[in-house]
Amino acid sequence: MTFASWTRRAVLGAAAATLATAVLPATTVPVQAQSLDKATVGVLALSSSGPIFIAKAKGYFEREGLDVTLSMFTSAQQVPVAVASGDVDFGVTGLTAGFYNLAAKGAITMIAAQSRDEPGFPLSAYVATNAAHAAGLTKPSELKGKRIAITTIGSTFHYMIGILGQKYGFTVKDVTMVPLQDVPKMVAAFKGGQVDAILAPSTVARQLAADGAGQILGWAGDETPWQLGALFTGPKTIQTRRPVVEKFVRAYKTALAEYHAAFNVKDSSGALVKGPGYDALLTIIADATKQKPEIVTAGLPYVDPNAKLLIDDVVNQVKFWQSEGQVDKTLDAKSIMDLSFIGQ
Amino acid sequence: MRLLISQLTHRYDDLTVLDGVDLALNEGEVLAVIGPSGCGKSTLLGIAGGIVAPTAGRVSVDGPVPDGCLNPITFIFQDFALLPWRTVEDNVALALEHHPLPAAERRERVNDGLRRMGLEEFRKALPKQLSGGMRQRVGIARALAVRPAMLLLDEPLSALDAQTRELLMDDFLALWRREKTTALYVTHNLDEALRLADRVVVLSRRPGRIREIVTIEEPRDRRLEASAQAHLAEVRARLWTLMKAEAQMADREIARA
Amino acid sequence: MLDSQTTLAAPQPVRFRGGGFTVRRHPWAALAAFVLLIGLWEGASRLGLASPLFLPPPSAVGAALAGMILDGSLWLNLKASLLRIGVGWSLGTLGGMIVGFAMGIGSLARAVGVPLVSAFFPIPKIALLPLFILWFGIGEPSKFATIGFGVFFPTVIATYSAIDSVPRNLIRMAQSFGLPWRSILRSIVLPGALPGILAGFRITASIALILVVAAEMIGAEYGIGAFVLMAGNLMQTDTLLAGVLVMSALGLTIGTLLSVLERRLLVWR
Repeated sequence: MTFASWTRRAVLGAAAATLATAVLPATTVPVQAQSLDKATVGVLALSSSGPIFIAKAKGYFEREGLDVTLSMFTSAQQVPVAVASGDVDFGVTGLTAGFYNLAAKGAITMIAAQSRDEPGFPLSAYVATNAAHAAGLTKPSELKGKRIAITTIGSTFHYMIGILGQKYGFTVKDVTMVPLQDVPKMVAAFKGGQVDAILAPSTVARQLAADGAGQILGWAGDETPWQLGALFTGPKTIQTRRPVVEKFVRAYKTALAEYHAAFNVKDSSGALVKGPGYDALLTIIADATKQKPEIVTAGLPYVDPNAKLLIDDVVNQVKFWQSEGQVDKTLDAKSIMDLSFIGQ
Repeated sequence: MRLLISQLTHRYDDLTVLDGVDLALNEGEVLAVIGPSGCGKSTLLGIAGGIVAPTAGRVSVDGPVPDGCLNPITFIFQDFALLPWRTVEDNVALALEHHPLPAAERRERVNDGLRRMGLEEFRKALPKQLSGGMRQRVGIARALAVRPAMLLLDEPLSALDAQTRELLMDDFLALWRREKTTALYVTHNLDEALRLADRVVVLSRRPGRIREIVTIEEPRDRRLEASAQAHLAEVRARLWTLMKAEAQMADREIARA
Repeated sequence: MLDSQTTLAAPQPVRFRGGGFTVRRHPWAALAAFVLLIGLWEGASRLGLASPLFLPPPSAVGAALAGMILDGSLWLNLKASLLRIGVGWSLGTLGGMIVGFAMGIGSLARAVGVPLVSAFFPIPKIALLPLFILWFGIGEPSKFATIGFGVFFPTVIATYSAIDSVPRNLIRMAQSFGLPWRSILRSIVLPGALPGILAGFRITASIALILVVAAEMIGAEYGIGAFVLMAGNLMQTDTLLAGVLVMSALGLTIGTLLSVLERRLLVWR
């Protein structure tokens, strides 16, 4: 426990938007011993943020002496920007080229893993249109040379095509990626037969298959396991508020382990089994994401119980974006991770 | 050409502006129509020229039409109604464009109109570059280019200052001296009527009815001479007496409305 | 009258009391202010007062712009966008003028058209993008359509208001000379409506420029809007600002061209 409460965010308020990384020196005010350290975390209302919701709902942050506020964002892009600007202290989201560009400028540092794509955990699907399927597109390996709708250049979907190519011996140059900014436009292009295939989140992919609009070819987790997201914070926060970061990560890991035990354990046949506290945790996530429990169940991602990052994959991601010319060539992947908090 | 107006009545919705007007404009005659504001003078002219449809009554023409006449009843407007995007000569040519004329004749008609109104050096000018008097001369040249059988002049000098008005009146007189013109001349200005008209029709206030028709005995060309002044003063006094009462009542009516 | 009276002993000059309140031209002031602003901005970055991530210095934006020019991507993106703006704007303007003319002249077309235009004009075209993809695909036609629809409605409104503003006395004059309907349309209504239509062009050109970004959300490989969107997604703020700079330069160029066109066509005003 420290005897300090941070007023930095209050001071920053207006200045944050324009001059934020020129962080003002933090002022500490001695307060009573029982008061909690305040911290905010930027999340998306998705099940991939489940461990954060659990840690908050079950009081793991308070137990560590933290008063954590959740700040809900609507797009993955906004979370690292909010951390970089100092509007929130921590963030959990998917790893994109934009994320690495912010990291390359020294604005954010990865400190622990979020979810990852893992065999048996269907998060993102390759879906073929009926026409393309009839014309012989039946396996993910056959996506080479096809037109594939994605959200944006530099998105997680872009990288998924990249590693799929690495596995099957083609590059992103061998496919036509059609960036359509968001899922509704991707679905419109898919249903209109404007593309051969689409990379879609599980709910959307299942809906398309159920509507008879297309065929699911496979899941990214089965084909190319990779590190989907990370917990990150600002380098300044690590420097000046290290104890807070340590406490945050400890609470996060407690929730992560609980999440893993409940949702990620398989029996000897390889089928998922409901772990301890399954229903209670499911309710927490369903409440936080405002989704029906049965929908949440279908898209629960895999997390490492010890918050360990797939470092090799992060290095591969940085190399991939560099080869695409979207991230600064001089960036060293190791320099944007501080894994001391998880002991990796 | 002669114009006959019989039992003409016109209403805008339930507002009667003209009531039972009978009028004959004879060949070679200039007939001035005067009356207070809102007495339906301009409406009368519009009906006579076929651009306003009367509520009741008849307008007819008969008699000879000059050679090469393209538009027997031709208007000259108070606001000149020139196309601001056309040069002087193209404004004059406007009324000829939809007629199948040989190019040489078309040119000659335009040139003739310009020459008669002294506009030759302004042929390439745009209306905005001209004074009000010059603009109205363009309007007159445009009317002359169609060789009209009859002119309908709707307060043609009201938008001009006093000196320009004098100059334009001289132009009209010169024009009408050279060729016999049949014209219906609407004005609220007694001086113009006294200088230009053979007969003066006085309309009452709304609904417009003919109060009286006054004949000016003195020939137009001699009206500036000293010997004419006694008669003109008499006519002026007579017209003013007729007009004044109407104008005063019309004034009060407008104020009440 | 006053009882007492003062007499000026000697002739005195009348004091000048006019002056002031007149607008004088300061041709260099705008430029100087602009240079000063850029200087301050660059200085703030150099002194570390503003992070290069949040506010890239002008030099970084300039470098990004130079990079775009050198590797040819500027021209590639600009060419793609100009084609989209050109075709989309032309289609929308042509359609809008035809409908606007019909509404300006025909009372039935107006009775039908005015409520329809009021109903459809305020729909944000960006909300219709998924529909446009279904109707027109993700190729160029959907981009033309996005810009074209955006341009269409303001053109309709500008055109029929411009026709309304043609002085009725000119039409009466033409009728009094026996001009046929078609000649009145060609010689009076069309040129008389031109100033209003050209003023509409100014608005629709800006709309086309704004909508090219929306249009290029639909699977565009090149295009200045796609470029700006991508730079935003990748958090390359210096490149983003370079793209924005190109767009404003494009807007300025189109505005200047329209001014020249107006001066040429409307000398008579």
